[in-house]
Amino acid sequence: MKTPKIKLPSIRSRNSLVTSFLALIFSLLLGMVVILISGYSPIESYKAIFGFSLSTVKGFALSLSQATPLMFTGIAFALAYRVRLINTGAEGQLFIGAMAAALVGVYVHNLPGLAHVSLALLAAFVSGGIVAGLVAIARVYTGSNEIILTLMLNQIIIFFTSYLANGPLKPPSSGVGQTERILESAQLPRLIPQTQLTSALFLVIAVAIIIQFILDKTVFGYEIKVTGQNLRAAQVAGINTSRVSIITFSLSGAVAGLGGAAMVLGVNYRFVEGFSPGYGFAGISIAALAAYSPLGVIPSALLIGILRAGTITLSRTTSIPVELVDLIQVLVIIFVAAPKLTQSVVKIFNSLTHKFLKNAEPVGGENS
Amino acid sequence: MTITLELILSILASTLRRSVPLLLASMGGCFSMRSGVVDLGLEGMMLSGAFFAVLGSHVSGNVWVGLLTGVIFGMIFALLHAVLHVNYKVNGSISGMVINLMAAALTPLLLNEVFGMSGKSSTVSNFNTPNIEWLKGVPFIGPILGGQNILFYISIALVIISWIFLYRSKFGLRLRMVGENPEAASAVGLNVKAYKYFGVLVSGAYAGLGGVYLSLGQMNLFVENMTAGRGYIAVVINAFGRYNPAGSLIGSIFFGFFDSLQTIFQSYFPSQLVMMTPYIVTVLIILFGLKGGRSPAGTGKHVES
Repeated sequence: MKTPKIKLPSIRSRNSLVTSFLALIFSLLLGMVVILISGYSPIESYKAIFGFSLSTVKGFALSLSQATPLMFTGIAFALAYRVRLINTGAEGQLFIGAMAAALVGVYVHNLPGLAHVSLALLAAFVSGGIVAGLVAIARVYTGSNEIILTLMLNQIIIFFTSYLANGPLKPPSSGVGQTERILESAQLPRLIPQTQLTSALFLVIAVAIIIQFILDKTVFGYEIKVTGQNLRAAQVAGINTSRVSIITFSLSGAVAGLGGAAMVLGVNYRFVEGFSPGYGFAGISIAALAAYSPLGVIPSALLIGILRAGTITLSRTTSIPVELVDLIQVLVIIFVAAPKLTQSVVKIFNSLTHKFLKNAEPVGGENS
Repeated sequence: MTITLELILSILASTLRRSVPLLLASMGGCFSMRSGVVDLGLEGMMLSGAFFAVLGSHVSGNVWVGLLTGVIFGMIFALLHAVLHVNYKVNGSISGMVINLMAAALTPLLLNEVFGMSGKSSTVSNFNTPNIEWLKGVPFIGPILGGQNILFYISIALVIISWIFLYRSKFGLRLRMVGENPEAASAVGLNVKAYKYFGVLVSGAYAGLGGVYLSLGQMNLFVENMTAGRGYIAVVINAFGRYNPAGSLIGSIFFGFFDSLQTIFQSYFPSQLVMMTPYIVTVLIILFGLKGGRSPAGTGKHVES
């Protein structure tokens, strides 16, 4: 089995916290350029974005609900990256999970609430896991590139679910591609009425805790760690690295599948064509920001969620586009992936402030 | 459905049209892979090429200026890939994905800024099909080649030039050496980084041109995410063609053929199912068609200098 060499930014928490913080700051600063080009004041805009998200109940609820699917896909990417596999397939796994949950939600009758929800979640978990598992098997046994495979599968799954939602599963009265509404017994309760914030938030936090626990406290977690850090050493130590990689990658896909179920059971109450504005790819950025820690994904997804919620609201009244957040997310990946780049930017900043202070000193002297 | 000669000829013509962007991008991938840099950023370079070509054509009113801007911006995105991977030692797959995500985020942003539209741009002047009367009259070849525009002929010329460059020139030999064994290349005094930069920048120019074909060759406007994964398919074609421009040509025509079958199936099957075809073919090729091939041995390796 061939595994690409990937240098993780050191997982030592202090170091990575600084890296992530700087990455976010620099990305937000570069985002200001976009706002400037749109003809608005960057500082006022950021004030409006964060002000809405953080100081209103509606805004914070929207931030959390925007963050929920990102938490699922962020955990998915982080987990696969622990065995140095890149799961760019979260988008497809999200869609197949959503479709599986919708099928259970619509067509399985006469179940009590908790059982119905659990069954729908299980269907999503299994379908996302199988899709990812097949990719991992191909990766391990034929050396296929998992990135291209997952990206192609994304397209196939998105087209196929779109076919189902526009063809056999479409309600006769519906004008858009979607399934029937799921039964009430399969719906996740909303935490705050009139918002899209659902109990899926608790589910994803539980998932993060469980996966962090597996990684840190179990033998399997240790095997994942060794496999990811040094494949050769893991094999010498008698770890079945193929098995570890396949299970980990499947689990990653299963978590992304759950994310799709959360959208169907909690937010839309049906499978709706094109329901994801790229949650799968946002997961890459969120995992990077969290230094690939499943628990760290929760706060970093929340940060991006806050940014998304604020920007969505701002984009309604200004011409600042929502894609601003997509751009900031990409910049975050760059700065996290290239710590040396971040360091050189810090150096430039330092020398600039140094110069600035030097120039400023005589002025201060005159005043005093 | 009756299969007529006319139908076959129109499929062949459509095959060639659909293979051009794949050919250009996968050929660019040859240069990148041969220099030892993963070519996963082709999608983003192509998408930016498609957008900036329309922008250039929109501003100047001249398609050739559009072509040039498309190629240049393909190279600018490639430059980012090269800086991140070669200088900052970011994993090539990650920096490639960064390019793709960057193009996917930036093009709708700029579409909004420049054209004030979302989804697609306004129409601009594009490459028309030249009206070559004598060619159209030739049986068989006429209907197939008569409908191709100038970019088609440029791409065919590029296949030959690229092949000669990579396999019959000293510079090409050195480029391949850098890709196979950067340490040895460095030991004999080659500037490994410079060769890698060259390989990636050429891939950006080619992929950018592939994007130009999509927006100014096949259409006359930019549509959001109009590459639709063609850059990734090009990565697979490149591996399928053993990182050789001639292999890219064969692989692209193969994919172009499956792509063109869509037009016939469209009237018999639901469009979503038909649109899955090229991606399914790609997956099958990845699983069964890449056996025995290997990427240059030095892929992703860095040399301290």
